[in-house]
Amino acid sequence: MSGKQKVQEREKTIAPPVGVEMLRVPAVVRPAAYPIETLVPEARQQTPAVGQRASRVDGRLHGLGQTRYIDDLAFPGMLHARIKRAGIAAARIVRIDTHGAEAMPGVMAVLTGAEIPVNSFGPSLQDQPVLAHERVFHAGDGVAAVAAVTEQIAVEALEKIVVEYEPLPAVFDPLEALKEDSPKVHPPHGNVYTTKVIAKGDVEAALAASHRVFEGRFRTQMVEHVSLEPHAAIADWDANGRVTIWSTLGRITLARGDVARTLKLAMNRIRMVGTIVGGNFGGKNEITQEPVLALLSRKTGRPVKGVYTRGEEFTSTTTRHPIIMDYKTGVTREGKILARKVRLVLDGGAYCSWSETTLGKAAILSPGPYNIENLRVEAYVVYTNKTMTGAMRGFGAPQVCFAYESHMDDIAAALKIDPLEIRLLNAFGEGSVSPTGQVLQSVVVKESLLQAAERFGWREGRP
Amino acid sequence: MTHVALRVNGEMREATVPPETTLLQLLRVHLNLTGTKLGCDVGDCGACTVIVDGMAVNACLMLAGQADGREVVTIEGLATRDRLHPLQKAFEDHAALQCGFCGPGAILAAKVLLDENPDPSVAEIRDALAGNLCRCTGYTKMIDAVREAARELREQGGKGAA
Repeated sequence: MSGKQKVQEREKTIAPPVGVEMLRVPAVVRPAAYPIETLVPEARQQTPAVGQRASRVDGRLHGLGQTRYIDDLAFPGMLHARIKRAGIAAARIVRIDTHGAEAMPGVMAVLTGAEIPVNSFGPSLQDQPVLAHERVFHAGDGVAAVAAVTEQIAVEALEKIVVEYEPLPAVFDPLEALKEDSPKVHPPHGNVYTTKVIAKGDVEAALAASHRVFEGRFRTQMVEHVSLEPHAAIADWDANGRVTIWSTLGRITLARGDVARTLKLAMNRIRMVGTIVGGNFGGKNEITQEPVLALLSRKTGRPVKGVYTRGEEFTSTTTRHPIIMDYKTGVTREGKILARKVRLVLDGGAYCSWSETTLGKAAILSPGPYNIENLRVEAYVVYTNKTMTGAMRGFGAPQVCFAYESHMDDIAAALKIDPLEIRLLNAFGEGSVSPTGQVLQSVVVKESLLQAAERFGWREGRP
Repeated sequence: MTHVALRVNGEMREATVPPETTLLQLLRVHLNLTGTKLGCDVGDCGACTVIVDGMAVNACLMLAGQADGREVVTIEGLATRDRLHPLQKAFEDHAALQCGFCGPGAILAAKVLLDENPDPSVAEIRDALAGNLCRCTGYTKMIDAVREAARELREQGGKGAA
């Protein structure tokens, strides 16, 4: 039975309205246009979604241009906010003069870090200021915000804000930042803010007993999510002291907690509305400008919208961690891995954000899907005066995958072993134990490799 | 202030706007046609693609004043109340609209292609969509959708239907 037939069958079972019922306005107005037929799964049946081509329920509105993303919403009297960025990687803020901006016609309010009730947030360490106050930690830090009647006036007003900086020594290279005498990003704390060590067996003895030992260093770069829709939010602080925030966030409950903390406001006074998100990829997992917009709304008594520019997306939102990955692997003559040492240095940028999660996942996955009896992984995240790194698809897994698979290829080439064979020799099987001691089930690494090799003609294709 | 009079989706529209207003702002803010999206504001991403006198244009790079007297088609102008445009139908059927933010721009870029070339090759479709960046759906499904829509439009044309 097709989806359309199912809908028709169901409609037949609905009794026609009689008497006074006919006068009632239906609870759900019948669509006048763009009817969408969706499959209605029957009770206690296997979900019909399996094995079917399903289309998105919101796909039609996307294609019609009828989907309302944040920037498509507007409220009466709404103001537009813009944030002034520091443009300097490390500095002490000597003075912020906002008089010029406040005097501009059309500027309704200006906000600085000093006015934020609790000026710090973050999902694990609360080390990120909402607006930098006293000290700038990276060039993308916001130092002041403006709410004006038009976006154009807000942009012009930012130019009128004068900030005097006293430059401080900065550190940009994560290996430099590891050193004891390097400039501290968040003094008095050291630059290493989280570490993880995984140890198994006797690595040194196994390396000494190996036929050959291979070493390699692999690095990845910083990656921005570049979701097509920029970070955007609207805040409306009402006369009862409650604030409603519409935001393109994937985690509104977490955001509600962060907003409550920064505004020093009870959670039940905050309403977070997650709207349709125009791309996330981990980049919209935590608050950015929401407390700023809320406070500007409180100051002005009007709804305030903020939309990041594409430039701000790159400088002032989270990115993927660049990782410097050092591998040392001892193997037998046949290519069997006897021992592996891994050191990961994650460039955390100026703030922790989701670094702890990323560090954990990168460390656990860094040896690769291979049986290794003797293992030592040391992983560090360090602060640098750069754009902060956070959640992005895979949380560190893609970086280490690039490293361990490149390392495997190097070993295979040096030992003159087929790259597929060296993987089949070492790969996890049913009941293999992960680096952290988890006994693995439903393991099909070898089967997948063999099927893939067969499908794309690995053996025939070899020169 | 600049006075602009232009035809949008077949209807005459007029507005008096500040001279720095882009066509994108005119459509989104002044005419409330929010289907056209702002992605980068510098002409890189194509989310703001609209059709001006039959050509695909980045609305963020064109001033409202430059559109004076021209014919503009936005995503809102494609479907009728009871029928989707074949491109919209094909994009939906092929799941070529995931987050959907790039969708309106991509659909309009594809429409310009199909208006000129009813039977484009995959290379020609890729070329036509080169200015429309997508981060989640991916281009494969869009290309399939454009091919399907082209087939559909050719069949309709063959039957003499509009």
